[in-house]
Amino acid sequence: MFKSRKNLVYVMAFAALAFTSCESDDPVIENDQEVITDVTLSFQELNAAGNPVGAVTTFKASDPQGIEVGTAPTIDNVTLTKGKTYSMKIDVRNSIENEDITKEIIEEADEHQFFFVGSAFVGSPVLTYQYADPSGELIGVEGKVTVSTSPGLNNATMRIVLRHDLDKNFPGATNPNFENFVQAGGESDLDIAFPLILN
Amino acid sequence: MNFIKYLLLLSIWSLFVPNTSAQNCNLAIRGKVIHLENNEPIETGYIWIKEVERGEITDKDGNFTIKDLCPGSYTLQIQFLGHKEIKDSIVLSTNSFSKTYRMEEESLNLAGVEIHGHRDAVQTTTSVSALYGEALLAARGESLGESLKRIAGVTTFSTGNTISKPVIHGMHSNRIMILNNGIRLEGQQWGAEHAPEIDPFLADEITVIKGAETVRYGPEAMGGVILVNPAPLDTKKAQKTELNLIGGTNGRMGNLAVTHSGGSGKIKGLGYRLQGSTKRAGNVRAPDYYQGNTGMSELNFTGALGYSNNKLGIETYYSFFNTSIGILRDAHTGNLSDLTDIIQNGRPFTNSDFTYEIDNPKQVVSHHLAKVKSHYHLSDNWKLNAQYGFQLNLREEFDRRRGDLNNSPSLDLKLFTNTIDLYLDHTHKNEFSGTWGVNLIHQANSNVPGTGVTPLIPNYDMVNVGFYLMEKYSKGPIELEAGLRYDYRTIQTARFIQNELQESDLNYQNFSAFIGGLFQINPRISFSSNLGSAWRPPNVNELFSQGLHHGAAAVEIGDVDLNSEKSLKWVNELEYDHNNLHIELTGYANHINNYIYINPTGETVVSLRGTFNVYEYLQANAFFYGFDIAGSYQFTEKISAYTKGSIIRAKNTEENNYFPFIPSDRMDWGVAYDFGSNTDKTNTLTLSNMLVAKQRREPDFDIAAAPPGYSLFNLAYQKQIQIRDNKLNLGAQVQNLLNTSYKEYMNRFRYFTDDIGRNILLKINYQF
Repeated sequence: MFKSRKNLVYVMAFAALAFTSCESDDPVIENDQEVITDVTLSFQELNAAGNPVGAVTTFKASDPQGIEVGTAPTIDNVTLTKGKTYSMKIDVRNSIENEDITKEIIEEADEHQFFFVGSAFVGSPVLTYQYADPSGELIGVEGKVTVSTSPGLNNATMRIVLRHDLDKNFPGATNPNFENFVQAGGESDLDIAFPLILN
Repeated sequence: MNFIKYLLLLSIWSLFVPNTSAQNCNLAIRGKVIHLENNEPIETGYIWIKEVERGEITDKDGNFTIKDLCPGSYTLQIQFLGHKEIKDSIVLSTNSFSKTYRMEEESLNLAGVEIHGHRDAVQTTTSVSALYGEALLAARGESLGESLKRIAGVTTFSTGNTISKPVIHGMHSNRIMILNNGIRLEGQQWGAEHAPEIDPFLADEITVIKGAETVRYGPEAMGGVILVNPAPLDTKKAQKTELNLIGGTNGRMGNLAVTHSGGSGKIKGLGYRLQGSTKRAGNVRAPDYYQGNTGMSELNFTGALGYSNNKLGIETYYSFFNTSIGILRDAHTGNLSDLTDIIQNGRPFTNSDFTYEIDNPKQVVSHHLAKVKSHYHLSDNWKLNAQYGFQLNLREEFDRRRGDLNNSPSLDLKLFTNTIDLYLDHTHKNEFSGTWGVNLIHQANSNVPGTGVTPLIPNYDMVNVGFYLMEKYSKGPIELEAGLRYDYRTIQTARFIQNELQESDLNYQNFSAFIGGLFQINPRISFSSNLGSAWRPPNVNELFSQGLHHGAAAVEIGDVDLNSEKSLKWVNELEYDHNNLHIELTGYANHINNYIYINPTGETVVSLRGTFNVYEYLQANAFFYGFDIAGSYQFTEKISAYTKGSIIRAKNTEENNYFPFIPSDRMDWGVAYDFGSNTDKTNTLTLSNMLVAKQRREPDFDIAAAPPGYSLFNLAYQKQIQIRDNKLNLGAQVQNLLNTSYKEYMNRFRYFTDDIGRNILLKINYQF
């Protein structure tokens, strides 16, 4: 029934066939989908009634290669005037894929939140921030910033952190200047320190 | 005066010494009885000397000694069921006699005689330990890494409690090899969080070889080899089923495993086995809190069909392993400040409840392994073996991602591996036996497109060919072995880095050798020593890593110019076995040239996402050495005790500092009480204590200091009940009896959480 020599030949033949058929695929350029290359802060001055007045000033933090090993990001100095109130908008983009990530953040509002910490917001704050997102949820894409009339600090830092997948109900998470945001869980998708210059 | 004293003493002495004839009647015949076809020792073989009407039975190593013989001619009759009787005429003169006898199988047609299972022999001159029978029953329900902790010298390198990689003498991942029924397991084992894709339930014996085994098994068998072997297939009409049902409180774990094997009545020599297991567990609980998203599920299956007669055998085998593993949510950090904060916190930030749900981050892995093996007896002494193995490993790793991307894996790898083994075993009536063989591995790794993440490792094709020969000299109480191997490996890689195609073509080669000996000094003491060289070409991740290691707040940079690691390991084992005391002491020294390790550069990378530490892969000379001890003592018929301990020292001899993730000193000891009056049936309660020291030999840099040492208590009860012809084994275990909070240095989750709290397990094993 079993031809002794033959079965060995069958084993080898089968093996030889399988050997030649398995080859690695050609590599494919993978479009890095979660890369963030540009974060733009747009400030529009508000008058006493809360209406926009004047031009919009923008300040950018950008890293053309995104989040991978590259050169350090270029971060603009943010210039604001003492005593004034501004509406602030944050715009997040992936310029490699020409993607508007701000939209995605708003769509997943329950999983994202910006926190504003650093010496400009915490301690004896130079800036006071309020969430003002149109949907009413606390995201931080849109907000209101008031600059102190007599700030105690000159070279303050605006540290803007985007948290993903946090627990928004964690005690303290409703505070935009919540320093212990890490305790609310999740991870940082953005952590940028903008130097602040006051006129 | 002295002279007279001497005469007096001599005359007194001569009164006491029996006045035998001028001959010396305390000669002995020593021998060893082994199987002809694979050198495995024959226990309870029977040796009868006609002239003195005395006999002896061989011990578990096949050795026997017949003492107090006078010089003269003797006829030895050596018998063992199912084997041809050996008759040997010998002459004893002034020296004792020693010989090795090789018994050949009988081609009997008697009912109830099992044709020998044709199992391949394991090298005996190096340190070998096995987990089988009762010890394996006690380990059922645990992963492979966790099960093997019961062997002295073996620890785990883990990422939480659901991902455990075995560590032999301080070495893991690509420095040890795991074989699934003789096929080298090939998955993405370079990853620290990539556990071996194998289910211990497929095995009835798990063997650990703690030596450099490159000659026999190929490159990367540097620290040792783990053989996961199912029972040999039945060759006569029989039906056997084994059912395992296990439940555990921690993680509310349920585990079911069934094995059914049998032999055909119609076709003699045809046997089959079907085996499957499934496991489901929810969030692990540390003493004070749940580890969020640490559930897991597993579904595994193996099937085998084989035919063997006295001339040839053929076996086909298929093994399927499939698992989903949740990764602790807080372990996937965004950047360095996140990581620093959670390390300082000492526990996860998120307060989780219990759930079976597995969310992202998670791993989904499938592994298919198929094998065809055939052997053919060219003659009584020559056996030809051919084995072909095919493997497909599919690994997907998911992260928490934005929008629809949350459903796409961040890592999606497809690995094909083909292996061919062709080897010739030969044994002779003289003392030599050996194996000559050739081994071919072909591997193809591809990144499945569509992840939206630059791949961590490139696509590659690899071919490794090795030629080896090993010879063993076996005479009485001495066995000597030596072997030589040549390997050649070629690897072609291709990938896109920032839209630019990068290809590379690398090759490596090496000669490896070993020499070893086993000396049965006397029936109580045996000593083995093995000196072997091994090598390991660099892994793709060590060569090509470039970028953010998601979830580890680290940027890793590989080095394409890395050289192969070359090592020399000297393992010695002393075994003492007499009456109530059994001790095994293993001592080893391992020098590795160009040992590859990951090292923080001290630099950080600042990106829009935050700051990350930069690590690079470096090479340096390393020296590992250590001791393992395993001992047991039977105090009374009912009370016995055991101890197992190990210490490892590993140093970077160039920088004069220590490597990261080397196990600390540990000892496990326990006392067992046997309730049973019938010594045949187990009925034992064991209380044990595991003591683990703090790792004081820390590398110069670690993101967190080594955790303090700890002590855990465990209670285990095992009872065997005979139900007619069937066996029922009941077990109950309480692990971490006192619900101690601790962190283990070798668990990468020590940065984020305490280790597992109390776990109560109930195990039912029914064999019918």
